[in-house]
Amino acid sequence: MRRQVPLILCFLFGIVMMLVEFSPHPISEGLRAEVIKWDLIIGPFALVIGVITLVHTHVIRVKRRVEHWQYSYLVFFGMIVMVAFGLPTGPKNEVFEWLFDNVQVPMEATMFSLLAFFIASASYRAFRARTLEATLLLVAALIVMIGNAPIGDVLWNELSPVGDNIPSTARQWILDNPNLSSRRGIILGVSLGVISQSIRIIFGIERSYLGGGD
Amino acid sequence: MEVLGIWVAAFFTLCIYSFLYRDNPFYRFAEHLFVGLSVGYGIVFSIHQGLIPFAWDPFWEAITKREFMGLLKLIPIFIGLLFFARVVPKYSWLIRYPIAILIGIGAGRAIPNVMDARIFRQVYGTLTPFGQIHAGALGFFEIFGAILMLVGVICTLTYFFFSIEHRGAVGGISKVGIIFLMVGFGSAFGNTVMGRVSLLIQRVDFLLSDWLRLI
Repeated sequence: MRRQVPLILCFLFGIVMMLVEFSPHPISEGLRAEVIKWDLIIGPFALVIGVITLVHTHVIRVKRRVEHWQYSYLVFFGMIVMVAFGLPTGPKNEVFEWLFDNVQVPMEATMFSLLAFFIASASYRAFRARTLEATLLLVAALIVMIGNAPIGDVLWNELSPVGDNIPSTARQWILDNPNLSSRRGIILGVSLGVISQSIRIIFGIERSYLGGGD
Repeated sequence: MEVLGIWVAAFFTLCIYSFLYRDNPFYRFAEHLFVGLSVGYGIVFSIHQGLIPFAWDPFWEAITKREFMGLLKLIPIFIGLLFFARVVPKYSWLIRYPIAILIGIGAGRAIPNVMDARIFRQVYGTLTPFGQIHAGALGFFEIFGAILMLVGVICTLTYFFFSIEHRGAVGGISKVGIIFLMVGFGSAFGNTVMGRVSLLIQRVDFLLSDWLRLI
């Protein structure tokens, strides 16, 4: 009951969803659409686990007065404010949109842009051309970066007598040929892994998602 | 409200950038608030774009218009509610039911979709140019590109093929695979750096033009 029923459910839903993808019959298409809706209904409830874990973590931080515990109240404040304005009237609420546009989006963009500095220092350490492989990585990265920036083509056209827009052309060639071929190799390998793992899950060989205990 | 929005956005932008100096109260303030707002945003969107249109609306319609098929939506709602069993230790095992269903649906859909989009189409894209070569429709550089693509895919796959020891011919092919991988990683790195730098330029542009009106 505790482990067998979930395994049977996983098997049934997995097999049905796999088979209906291949069948153009209206009943099968209707079934597929309905199960996808079930997925969209059940999915948001999974957020409950995340929210419970986050709240639990911060309640513990406050209770135990760990270092910087005061900031945990900001997590609760942010969450409550967004839910209070967004939940009753939906994401089109003026205050909800204002908070999203003027607080959340700028902070998110700034957090990601912060990585530019750390990537710069990391690349200094990583890009020492000690081996052939490291040199290739360095050269490919440099060509892509120079080709991406408009200044690359401008400088080349001003300074070099050979060809026009060579940096951006070289960048595009690298992206379309050696880069794409290695990505295809990786995609094919990963996809075969995904398929074999899915088969293992459907047939109950892989059952780590059930967790421990009875 | 617009001016206030610009000032608030500028304040939080500077709070995050203050981390470049070192960890400090301004950064922690912005960081924790960001986590809270993001979670709140996620909750609102999941409810308004998942639960309400796909569960609540059909269910309510079923009650008001007496279309009893809509009552079937009670089944996934009930299954979803089993996630709350996590908070009652005695019944926490019930959480396996919704997880098993979600994973089953995901695994079942993954097999045909991945096979189609990520295997057949990738192989098709790799081999199609050879048909065009046969028809004499490609020039020298396209033929060179097509051969390079095929060689790159085979060598990269060989590098990840661990059932045979990488010695002799297989070792040589896998070494060529490493070369392709390094160029691929290099270009991915270059693209990532440029993406982050673009974001940095956009934030600095916001501070200098929208906020300070210097440019």
